[in-house]
Amino acid sequence: MAMGPRRGRRGTSTQRNASGQARKKRTCRFCDNKETYIDYKSDKRLQRFISEQGRIIPKRITGTCARHQRMLVVAIKRARHLALLPFVSDAVK
Amino acid sequence: MPQSKHVYETTFIVNASLDDHQIDAAIEKVKDLILKNEGEIRELVKWGRKRFSYPIKKKNNGFYVVIEFSAPGEVVAKLERHYFLDENILRYLTIVLDKRALNAHTAANLLAAEQPAAEVKTIEAPKPTPEPPAAKVEEKTPAHE
Repeated sequence: MAMGPRRGRRGTSTQRNASGQARKKRTCRFCDNKETYIDYKSDKRLQRFISEQGRIIPKRITGTCARHQRMLVVAIKRARHLALLPFVSDAVK
Repeated sequence: MPQSKHVYETTFIVNASLDDHQIDAAIEKVKDLILKNEGEIRELVKWGRKRFSYPIKKKNNGFYVVIEFSAPGEVVAKLERHYFLDENILRYLTIVLDKRALNAHTAANLLAAEQPAAEVKTIEAPKPTPEPPAAKVEEKTPAHE
């Protein structure tokens, strides 16, 4: 039984999908900018990392590295506490 | 140093339905509390009125204030007790700013100060100033107040 490289379907490395097109490699946005701290006050930026319902998007989708994802999660939770970001968005309520 | 001091950042939300001078009085109380307890205010930013993402105490907007200060640890407990007792303060969050956060902060400030300068330069050289002159109280007020 032939098996391709065992990688996550949404892994970050370049891979081919069913139709043979190469998927672009995703990189961590925070690493690209060499950021060492993610501020909870920049709610506009954090918005990108939550879903429409207000849930935190997993790093396998966004491509964020593990280290920055951990920082991101803390920042989002702080922002939620201060009502800068929703726990659940209005659409779902 | 007689006592170890940390740099903290405290954000609180004042009831926005108060008058401007009442809000100022509430902020003044917090400032006094920090200063009386051997704290130093490094930066005070009034964000102004902002809409909440979800209602807090049946209100839909509040007046946000961010204070960065250095003080001995006991101050935080006193501060949070004050927040808890003050009915006009809807929410608060106090965090310790670690070295990384401070570096990022100074880098961002530098960047804002010299806008056209090369970006890489300012990020690579976050000034390792463990204790910058903190006596100065900066008051920044965004355009809308």
